[in-house]
Amino acid sequence: MLTIALPKGSLLKDSIKLLQTVGLDFSAFLESGNRQLQITEPTGRAKALLVRAWDVPVYVEFGQAQLGVVGYDVLREKKSKVAQLVDLGFGSCRLSVAVKGSSSYQEPIELPAHGRVASKFVNCARDYFSNLDLPVEIVPLYGSVELGPITGMSEAIVDLVSTGRTLKENGLEEIAVLFESTARLVAHPLSYRLNSSGIAEIVEGLREATLTSAG
Amino acid sequence: MTVFQPPAGARDLLPLDVAQKQWIEHHLNAVFARWGYHQIVTSTLERLDMLMAGGAIDPNSVIQLQDPDDGLLGLRPELTASIARAAVTRLTGAAFPQRLYYNTNVFRREPHSRHGRQHEFHQAGVELLGAGGSMADAEILLLLSDCLTALELTGWKVVLGQADLTRSLLGSFPMGLRDRVRAAIAQLDRVALLEMEISEDQRARALALFELRGEPQAVLDKLDRFDLDAGQRQSLAGLAATIETLAASGSGTMLERLVLDLSTIETYDYYTGVVFAIVVETPTGPCVLGKGGRYDDLLGLYHPTGESRPGVGFGLCIEDLQQALQTGDRLPATTCATDWLVAPKTPAARAATHVHARQLRAENPDARVEVALEEIATSADVVSEYARRRRVQHLAWVAADGSVEVEALG
Repeated sequence: MLTIALPKGSLLKDSIKLLQTVGLDFSAFLESGNRQLQITEPTGRAKALLVRAWDVPVYVEFGQAQLGVVGYDVLREKKSKVAQLVDLGFGSCRLSVAVKGSSSYQEPIELPAHGRVASKFVNCARDYFSNLDLPVEIVPLYGSVELGPITGMSEAIVDLVSTGRTLKENGLEEIAVLFESTARLVAHPLSYRLNSSGIAEIVEGLREATLTSAG
Repeated sequence: MTVFQPPAGARDLLPLDVAQKQWIEHHLNAVFARWGYHQIVTSTLERLDMLMAGGAIDPNSVIQLQDPDDGLLGLRPELTASIARAAVTRLTGAAFPQRLYYNTNVFRREPHSRHGRQHEFHQAGVELLGAGGSMADAEILLLLSDCLTALELTGWKVVLGQADLTRSLLGSFPMGLRDRVRAAIAQLDRVALLEMEISEDQRARALALFELRGEPQAVLDKLDRFDLDAGQRQSLAGLAATIETLAASGSGTMLERLVLDLSTIETYDYYTGVVFAIVVETPTGPCVLGKGGRYDDLLGLYHPTGESRPGVGFGLCIEDLQQALQTGDRLPATTCATDWLVAPKTPAARAATHVHARQLRAENPDARVEVALEEIATSADVVSEYARRRRVQHLAWVAADGSVEVEALG
């Protein structure tokens, strides 16, 4: 049976709404008090796994799920070997460099050599600064990255920004954008090549639904 | 106390693993031999530059060793390079085509985060050297089909591409963009193709190439409608001839299981013609059992004066085959039972026990005959219990005077 990996958190609602357009109903995941991690769709055509966003590409890469919905930011950080089939348009945000508002840094290149940058996106941050030819120490953090510059542990952070409110409220200023991100429909490459469980038809349906909603 | 552990990624094969592995190898070797292939054994250790010459091997994936005299060496990650080297330097006087097969271990290092992933694998495969036509391509695919049929594997498929045709079709993209389009197609990154700064006409071509897969005849028909030059027409004709041969050779199996996929291309130039992956659907998702293809430029890299010969072949991963075959009842589920257990009735009969065991071995060369040693031969009950657990067929009690009583178990 077709298995789809869905991300917990901010992308879940839109993902479920999108799948409803091709007749796959996983809204049971949204019911309050839901504790199920795996549900089969009422018509029995597909099942879905509810996993952390960072784990979606893992389930898809190993083929336990043939399809998945996940942000481009996660795909880029994890360098996942999955097929990126559709830009779903929702979940827009950007990965940015931010510093303390009171600091004098206007651009990332002005950061001190061998300074510290805190981030959950260690690979993206490392690639970005290495392209700038600026040697920095990347400090991995898993949440509330904004505290890095506030406490003085790091000169800057590399973090996701959607509205910019969190940064502002914590006295931080965005000085550069690494890349923009949106949710992506991803597939297990081999399953896509073989068209296992009728993936192609579902993908085509989701692509059309995305184009319609964008139009 | 020191606990001696194997390195991460190492694996010991216990007797049952070995029995299953040998079952697979025995069936594959028999098919290879039936098609006229001869086994070749090459060195486990090769010079790193030799392994890398084909351009398909990432140096980080090779387990490297430093030799004070020979420089950087590596444990072979695959066999084709070694066989190509051996063929052009050692088989110079031999008549081509050469049909060679191998059944051996290979080593791969995981460069990234997958800690503890296996390092040593076993691979069986063939190389058909010195034959460049569509008959040779068809031979390799039909041989592959025979191998998988001999193993009674179900649910397998072959995803087939044509590397030189795909590469040539990519030639219509401007130099600067070609590698990016190729990488996006190889990695099935459709979003990248949509976002790339190319003309709408080029984008349409790239997307058409991206979706060029499915039932072989349908894909050939689609390709036929492409705006192709003479060289591309020739590649297409070769591919069509291979598929026609598969269809006409009575073995419908391969054709039914073939998915033609022109987006099957690597980001490096190694394969020069057909390129394929052997895939099986398992309850835990599809799994690649092996890969193959045509490499007409490889032998020239190893020839002293650059003289090349065409080559085509495939390799199957024994561990993945073993995994895929676990669901059926084809693999041996137990190690071989012991046919005879020879036990001394009394301590004085120990010498006579070995004499009788030797006699049994001489009379039944295929039988497994083991002797009950001091640890077991303490009482009749212990011996019987041991015999039962080892699934012994016959128990022979030997007395000090050499007389024997046989108990049939089994």
